[in-house]
Amino acid sequence: MPQNSQEILLMLPHVVIGVGIVISLLIEMYSKKSETILPWISLFVFVFAGVHSIINISANQILFGGMLEVGGKPAIFNFIFNIGAALLILNSIDYIKKYESNHGEYYILIQSAILGMMVMAGSKDIFMIFIGLELMSIAFYVLAGINKKKSSSNEAALKYFLLGAFATGFIVYGIALIYGVSSTTSVDSIIQNFSTFTQNILFIVGLLLFIIGFSFKIAAFPFHMWVPDVYQGSATTVTGLMSTTGKTAAFSVLLIILSASLINYNIDIFAPYFAVIATLSMLYGSIVAIAQKNLKRMLAYSSISHAGYMAIGLAAANSEAFSGIIFYLAAYTFMNIGAFGIISIIEKQNDANTDLTAYAGLASKSPILAAFMSLFMFALAGIPPLAGFFGKYYVFISAIEADLTWLAVVGVFSSVISVYFYLRLVVYMYFKESEKDIDLHIDKYSLLSVVVSGILVIYFGISPDSLLNLILSVVN
Amino acid sequence: MNIYDIIFYLFAIVTLVSAAFVVSTKNIVHAAFFLIFTFFGVAGLYILLGADFIGVVQILVYVGGILILLLFGVMLTNKITNVEIRSGTTQIVPALIGVGLFAGILVLTMVSTEWKSAPGEIPFTTAYSLGKVLLTDFVLIFELLGILLLIALIGAASIARREKE
Repeated sequence: MPQNSQEILLMLPHVVIGVGIVISLLIEMYSKKSETILPWISLFVFVFAGVHSIINISANQILFGGMLEVGGKPAIFNFIFNIGAALLILNSIDYIKKYESNHGEYYILIQSAILGMMVMAGSKDIFMIFIGLELMSIAFYVLAGINKKKSSSNEAALKYFLLGAFATGFIVYGIALIYGVSSTTSVDSIIQNFSTFTQNILFIVGLLLFIIGFSFKIAAFPFHMWVPDVYQGSATTVTGLMSTTGKTAAFSVLLIILSASLINYNIDIFAPYFAVIATLSMLYGSIVAIAQKNLKRMLAYSSISHAGYMAIGLAAANSEAFSGIIFYLAAYTFMNIGAFGIISIIEKQNDANTDLTAYAGLASKSPILAAFMSLFMFALAGIPPLAGFFGKYYVFISAIEADLTWLAVVGVFSSVISVYFYLRLVVYMYFKESEKDIDLHIDKYSLLSVVVSGILVIYFGISPDSLLNLILSVVN
Repeated sequence: MNIYDIIFYLFAIVTLVSAAFVVSTKNIVHAAFFLIFTFFGVAGLYILLGADFIGVVQILVYVGGILILLLFGVMLTNKITNVEIRSGTTQIVPALIGVGLFAGILVLTMVSTEWKSAPGEIPFTTAYSLGKVLLTDFVLIFELLGILLLIALIGAASIARREKE
């Protein structure tokens, strides 16, 4: 239990979101205007939690008798989750009206998904990881199918639910085997005895199942089969949330395993596994994305290859990789949220205008959207001086330091392939004549969200040290 | 082999055989009935391991609640729509390879591990200590579980909502 007011103050982000869920539920029940009130309540909750986390970043404490870590590393993750969610809420206000699915539960479920992610990022107990994961996943299963009149949205929800539940099964089985060896659920005591435990084959198999389960959640190659359909079918704002913050939350758990092998100077036993996954995801994602005509599907494959780049860091398993992955996650979150934000502005009902051809000649119709879309595409492709470049740079450096130069070479090779399909969109927007006339309605809040993401992407690119120093200050 | 082992194998066989029937039978009502035996078998295993509270909850919630709901669901919906619910087995060879690999790893681990024996004394009842732990050491998890259930409820209601045409 929190012993004094200062501890309660430190876990205020969690409390505020928890209270936000209940208040939103009450407003949804009793107010006729809940659809107009709830976005602002969620926005306030997310901005408060994000800012509070980053202000209290140096106050690193473990609360509830070794359950929840606040401040430090989780604070950075909380910042990414909450600011990302706040930007998507701004997009959602207009977007879900287009699909006539502007019900209050949309905002309640997003809040609970973010609460789950924050629990995952701060968990110091295996049970906490599991509960956080379930809070996030159950909210996402429902959110994926929020556009009920669209059959592809229903399909996405069912597919995501079945494969997500399957992956959770792996994770729970892994947890059972890990507990069978360690006889404790505390993450810290497992990390302390990591090198003793890893001599036991049962522990390794348990950890492997655990990692396989999370490989589903980060959408890495052999476990990616749900990604294209789910990302394409779900509501665009929900896809934006799933592909960025959801992936970040899963990586925050995988980083625990990385820190275990770092603290014990243990040669990472899973380095070969992550190296294989990284190679396959990068190449598969980049190559298949070339053939995609639908923008959401293309970004789904690009998300698979980005999971691969980050997995390079997990394979390298040194302290550079640790900060590199966190930097990459922050950069990836904001550039991808920006890109999905623009898609959600241009999209019309029934998946209209999500194909590449709809973007032809966008530069003449809306120069500002075209400019920002190009910015996000350049950032995703990893072109300096944008945030995406430094994410890749730090991860590749960590691979070279760990004598995995071949992995960095594959990464560079895959980035070169990916430049083709990212830039193809830019070519469509600037150098092609539009075939059909799409009527463009740019909502002011959506535009604000896109602009803020764009500014963050540029800022992290121009002065990467500001973010990296923050990460380094909490990692050591 | 003592009486404990015999009871264990009995429950294990009941669980596994009925589970095999659940996935192999074509009739969905039969599958639901076989599932009752699977859940009973699992409850028996829990109680045999000294987890009496979880065993009772397993019977109360799964057998008494979820399965009855499942049967009602099947009976009330299968005549409404003309869509025939297809149940069968496809992709047998890839599934066999995947499951075989997974089972092989697990069996190898099982055989090669030196298992620790639990302390011999089985507690008389676990409900007291379970409740105490849930409200002291794991109180945060207890609270989060409350939110999780609330979200599951909201999600289910949201899925079941009828959209205005």
